[in-house]
Amino acid sequence: MQFLPISHVPVGSQDLLAEDVRLLRRIHAAWYALAEARGYEEVIPPTFEYEEVFTRGGGPELASRLVRFVDQDGRLVALRADFTSSIARVAASRLASAPVPLRLCYAGKVFRQEAAGEGRRREMFQLGAEMIGDASAEGDVEVIRLLLDTMHAVGIADFQVNLGNVEFVRPLLERLSFEEAEALRGAIDRKDRAALAAAVAAGEIEPGAGRSLVELPTLIGRGEMLIRAAELAIGESASSAIERLRRIDRLLTPAERAHIVYDLGEIRGLGYYTGIQFEVFAAGAGRAIGVGGRYDHLLALYGADRPAVGFALETDALAELLTQAAQR
Amino acid sequence: MAPMRIALPKGRMMDQALELWDRIGSGIAPEQANTRRLILPSRDGRFEFLPVKPSDVPTYVEAGVADAGVVGLDVLLERRADVLQPLDLGFGACRMAVAAPEGQPYPDLPGAVTPRVATKYVESARRFFAERGAQVEIIRIAGSVELAPLLGLSHWIVDLVETGRTLKENGLVVVDTVFASSARLIVNRARHKLRLDDHQRLLAELEAALAAPALTTSSARS
Repeated sequence: MQFLPISHVPVGSQDLLAEDVRLLRRIHAAWYALAEARGYEEVIPPTFEYEEVFTRGGGPELASRLVRFVDQDGRLVALRADFTSSIARVAASRLASAPVPLRLCYAGKVFRQEAAGEGRRREMFQLGAEMIGDASAEGDVEVIRLLLDTMHAVGIADFQVNLGNVEFVRPLLERLSFEEAEALRGAIDRKDRAALAAAVAAGEIEPGAGRSLVELPTLIGRGEMLIRAAELAIGESASSAIERLRRIDRLLTPAERAHIVYDLGEIRGLGYYTGIQFEVFAAGAGRAIGVGGRYDHLLALYGADRPAVGFALETDALAELLTQAAQR
Repeated sequence: MAPMRIALPKGRMMDQALELWDRIGSGIAPEQANTRRLILPSRDGRFEFLPVKPSDVPTYVEAGVADAGVVGLDVLLERRADVLQPLDLGFGACRMAVAAPEGQPYPDLPGAVTPRVATKYVESARRFFAERGAQVEIIRIAGSVELAPLLGLSHWIVDLVETGRTLKENGLVVVDTVFASSARLIVNRARHKLRLDDHQRLLAELEAALAAPALTTSSARS
């Protein structure tokens, strides 16, 4: 056992002091003003929940990053790792008979284990919104629009939303064994054409589907790309995935479209996404500062089958970008 | 538009990468080649090359201070950086292998001995043996790994093998292959979206240059 001075804090945790807090408050003020104006009501889920709340929908990746402890009665409890899972539980239980669509928003901390030495926080602020009970493309657009307007409202102009639809590749992956599907998922996520071509050549994938897989890393661009993608769609689910994105594209304004990159290799979100899925990238941040998408089957895992769509932004990352901009 | 920043691993792989960029018309001017400048501009101004330590390439690219980088798969798998990995550039080919002194049993040692494995590539070695369900003790060594089995520090080693000469000189033989390695183009996830057209153009150009028959490259010589 090593003795450390009391001034140390555990790796990945930190104090926020006056100036940090002022900036955080400014972001929160802009966020709540916008969200409330759009009819989103704030909810504050508990800081810790039974771990199943996060493991049921979030998939193995989230499950491996929970900060857990044993509760008084011996059950495993986890610190909130994801607002969407908690809100899905609330919406499927206490709010099960509330009229839909339900518009909910939040801002607060999430806790996730990170490998030591990567310089990542284990405790971070997020803000976000969920719209529950609306399965339409108009619903997708409402949430995307709220995200875009939030970025502008907090004062970040140079950003791109990388928008995909997991239904384009899901049918291809579903026919494979777990290991093969995971290997292919990794190759799609890294845009590794050589690995995709090798997987196709290894033979588990039918020729038509193979061609779409190898082309997948090139299916990225503005709205025109979707026309080419439609030709490579295999099966009804993939075709309607493209149709959905084209419909979203038509519903967006030209100014909004300038912030959207369509990317059919965008599949890296949490396990519960079912339709559109996106990540937010901003100039000055090396990795995604926000994620979101549609999760039509998540609420069913908590007892009420409702379609839903939402997003979360990393508030700390927004604050850092604003600080960078102020220093220039 | 600001030039795209490309992190390159100092050493032979950097020369091979610069030759590749030369083939797409964006190499560096000859007088730049032997300077000690920290940032080398390409002749056409489209790129800035950052010569860094090979194991730092993924760090620069993951953080987004470089748009893209060139690095061996061996380094990449050891670092597990969260980056796009769109192209196998072909050069820098070698393999990560398990080697043992001639006559040393593999993969099982007689008796109840837990095999000790010396390596610089702790992460790759750990994953390789774990995937096979083999229990080994991994010993981190910073250099001259071949020495470890000779002195009895380890039974086997995991190391990068290019020609196999160093192994042979030390009485070691390859007993297993961990993976085949070569240079990869890696790309920052955020920069790829924020400058999508520039990135897609670079990918297409490099892909075309790699598909075209090479004239004289150092990879053909080695």
